Amino acid sequence: MERRPAAARGSATFLLVLILLGTCASFMALKTRTDTIVRKKVPGSSIIYIPSGKFLRYATFGYSSLAADLIYLWAIQYYSTPTIDDRFDHLDHVFSIINELDPRYQDPYEVGAMIAVDGAREVVSAVPDLSRGRGRAEYARSLFQAAFAILDRGAANNPDQWIYLFDAGHIAMMSLKDFDLAEKYFGQCMKIPGAPDFTRRLYANALYKRGDLETSWRTWLDIYNTAPDERTKRIASNHLYQVKSAIDTGRLKEAVGKFRERYHRLPGELADLVRAGLVDKLPKDLDGGDYVYDPETGDVKAATSPWKR
Amino acid sequence: MKRVWAIAGITFKEAKRDRILYLLFFFAALAIIASRVLAILTVGDRVKIIKDVGLASIQVFGVLMAVLIGTSLVYKEIDKKTIFTLLSKPLRRAEFILGKFLGLALTLLVMTAGMSLIFLAVVYLHTFRIEWTMLIAIAYIVLEVLLITAVAILFSSFSTPILSSIFSLAFYLIGHLSWGLEVLIKKMKAGAGRAAAQALYTFLPDLENFNFKTEVVHGLPIPAGIYLSSFLYGVFYTAFILGLAILIFRRRDFI
Repeated sequence: MERRPAAARGSATFLLVLILLGTCASFMALKTRTDTIVRKKVPGSSIIYIPSGKFLRYATFGYSSLAADLIYLWAIQYYSTPTIDDRFDHLDHVFSIINELDPRYQDPYEVGAMIAVDGAREVVSAVPDLSRGRGRAEYARSLFQAAFAILDRGAANNPDQWIYLFDAGHIAMMSLKDFDLAEKYFGQCMKIPGAPDFTRRLYANALYKRGDLETSWRTWLDIYNTAPDERTKRIASNHLYQVKSAIDTGRLKEAVGKFRERYHRLPGELADLVRAGLVDKLPKDLDGGDYVYDPETGDVKAATSPWKR
Repeated sequence: MKRVWAIAGITFKEAKRDRILYLLFFFAALAIIASRVLAILTVGDRVKIIKDVGLASIQVFGVLMAVLIGTSLVYKEIDKKTIFTLLSKPLRRAEFILGKFLGLALTLLVMTAGMSLIFLAVVYLHTFRIEWTMLIAIAYIVLEVLLITAVAILFSSFSTPILSSIFSLAFYLIGHLSWGLEVLIKKMKAGAGRAAAQALYTFLPDLENFNFKTEVVHGLPIPAGIYLSSFLYGVFYTAFILGLAILIFRRRDFI
């Protein structure tokens, strides 16, 4: 075959380069234009087809830890994008995948629960309404349930870690004011070896808040007697003062109520309750002081705040 | 043995001239170093991301090196007809196969050592200590890669590079999916079917025996007995595959 002259080969190369540049410029321009066309978004379409972690494990061929890392990194970016309105819909599902792929990966449990709790707060106050017809309170409740589900998985997969039960108790106590649930979580948390001392104090406080004053008293007394330092002793003492005050003022208020029923008036002083036989003797607070009675309203309270003793 | 090492030496020199090796090494190094950037995106433990990506990169690129180079190792000699020159020498076919395997194994060891150094250096930059426990996972990755090398040579002894690559990768996938068969067996009723499935499960490779990445990254305890058990499993399976390769190659007619 004859070889073409050099000039012809050169012009063919030049033409080819021109065609290449032209087509390259064309598709880049077309891409820029196509990106400006708005496409209808189906809610949840971004992650609606992700299978569960159990099935995904089979597809990762021994790279389940790496897959958990990559999905976790994606989740962080996804949940920190406020423009995705439906991002909380599958929160538990997404984090369950990460947890099943790598049950010992600690961060996703805490961060997942944190995202759920933040999401619940956001849902209550966000404009526009993120609940999309489900009701803000109901949607927020479902997010709190997701937080507890994530932390329960963390505790089940890592029975030696106290942090998940602590986080769950903290959410129950501070966000939901559900002291029954807080007591349950702190009670389990304090039994785990290595759990810090303050979990026991939180347990005792949860008992007080939900009204189990007798158990709260016994727990605080035990904490006081076994306190490793003066600071803990002082804290326990203040709480013991608080619990005793609650028990005593409760009994005195009950007696005041009975006095009023009997005599159709409030007692003039607390000693009237003794004289009426409604109490054997007037209790003293933990420091030996008297309780303060208001004859106008019938209210009984401690002479001082436990934190100002 | 001298002849085996002679073939091994030539194979090593030939393999280290292969550009694919350096291309894969470059991408492995890139992936390991890029894990530092990826780790910035996480909330929590950054070192975990770096370790997972690093170990996975060493494994993936190690397997790719073994497959891409191993599958053409014997085939090239047959295709270029240099096999006739070699076999006309006082060289047994078994020595030829063993020499090829050892030569490629040495090449992969050097490459894995390089990737491991880069990986340990990147981890050191974050933790300021040398994580010697990572070497446990890397050692068993090397064992797995050597087994894949033997498989690649087996297929290369009678098939084309493309088919050999597909078969070798299929072996790798089967090796990491065999626990699915175990789950299936548990659901089967006792009988001939279950016995056959059990035999198949025992025969098929279980590459998860070499997977200690998760334990090492999380600092979980590894039962002492599994070290020797997994090591011997790798050695014997590799020996079996090489034996098969030698058997097929001995019967092979090149005309």
